[in-house]
Amino acid sequence: MTTATGPQVGVTLYSYTNEWLTRQFDLPGLMQEVANREQGPNIEIIGFQNFKEFPDVSDDFAAKFKDLVAETGLNPVSCAINSDRFLKPGQQPIEDVALVEYHKRQLRSAKKMGFSLVRYQFALPVHLLPEIAPYAEEIDIRMGVEVHAPMWAGHPAVQAYAEMYDKLDTPVLGWIPDFGGTASRIPESMLDAARAAGASEDLLDKLKEVWLEDGMSHEKAGRLREWALTNGHAPAHIQAASLAFFILSNNDPKSWAQLVDRTIHIHGKFYGVDDDGVEEAIDYETILPLFRDGGFTGTIVSEWEGHAYDTRDAFEQVRRHQAMCRRILAS
Amino acid sequence: MLPVERIIGEEGLRLRDGKLSLAMRLPWYRSLPFSTVEFAGLSIDGNPVSLERATIEYDGDSWPLSQNGEKVDSFWFVRDSAFLCLSDPALENGEEHEVALTINVNPPYIPGMKRANSQVETLRVQS
Repeated sequence: MTTATGPQVGVTLYSYTNEWLTRQFDLPGLMQEVANREQGPNIEIIGFQNFKEFPDVSDDFAAKFKDLVAETGLNPVSCAINSDRFLKPGQQPIEDVALVEYHKRQLRSAKKMGFSLVRYQFALPVHLLPEIAPYAEEIDIRMGVEVHAPMWAGHPAVQAYAEMYDKLDTPVLGWIPDFGGTASRIPESMLDAARAAGASEDLLDKLKEVWLEDGMSHEKAGRLREWALTNGHAPAHIQAASLAFFILSNNDPKSWAQLVDRTIHIHGKFYGVDDDGVEEAIDYETILPLFRDGGFTGTIVSEWEGHAYDTRDAFEQVRRHQAMCRRILAS
Repeated sequence: MLPVERIIGEEGLRLRDGKLSLAMRLPWYRSLPFSTVEFAGLSIDGNPVSLERATIEYDGDSWPLSQNGEKVDSFWFVRDSAFLCLSDPALENGEEHEVALTINVNPPYIPGMKRANSQVETLRVQS
């Protein structure tokens, strides 16, 4: 393992969701491909995407995974876990005690497989952190809550977590910024996908206008929907245009400065890096120096989410993104 | 169709020992508890099929579709197919039929979100 002297660049296997879902690779094959293409060694894996035994990984599987890590030379940095509270649609969420145990099961599995931290979610009510953090301390694994759109440093939920972090004052708790919360624009590739699905230019112009307005994501999606139905747009076109509301927000990229100190890992969210090495929607030139100069020495994992609307080659996108990150970090 | 939109599985439609099974894929990027997935409708050649007595088969296990909402701790691995099984099919091996399937997913960490997915394919009944 390298000695960290600045931010490291790695990848989350989530970037290769299309290649995974179409069964082009099994887990050993995918990890070997990542290693062959030198897109690691630091990686993140979503427990519920790549591990069939999740949330309760057996000793046997954990041993096999460790062998695979050794063979490929990859470094399992982060395991993404989930706060699945609503197990019965339309009914009440599960009891707090069950949700706490659900987190502990996933922490235990991640630790057993050799991950050094987990990504967790704001769907975990903040008042349960005092019950989970001591367990993370006991088994020695860090937990980073993912600050994902529509969240950003100034969001009330982030502030509530920050207060709890101050109170608990433990090194095992931190942030995982996801840059989708501070996008400067809607990616052109996402608009192109909506065009391909039949959305017209006036609908996309209205989308761009409403996306920049204030309000919660679902409110803005509702606003666009109402306008679009009144103006004769088909529900399928509205659906194609509305994806942007749920995965991207346009908060100030400089706002990440407030979270640098407790950042333990980063999701380098991106949609497409062009031939000049510039990401379509997210202003990396502004964001990355905040973390570099703020002393962050963890990993920025390339997280290509274009697969939500596009079937471009994920490996090529990750290659471009990592080259861009290295260029900016070295500047 | 994006990979994440696929709900009719690669293994297609099979008829064995009087039981018809349709391969299904989970239209999400990660595994989900079966209780959060609704097998909302099946039509064959445009005719709705009653799912009242249907069963789900997955990874060596099977349960009545009517009990699926209780499967909170059985996870559908996102890379695997699950199978919708009917015991009284009026289909024969080798025939081609138009199959229309609808699956709704309710991601358990996003309250109130329901995503409906439909797919229509012409499939040959295999033995």
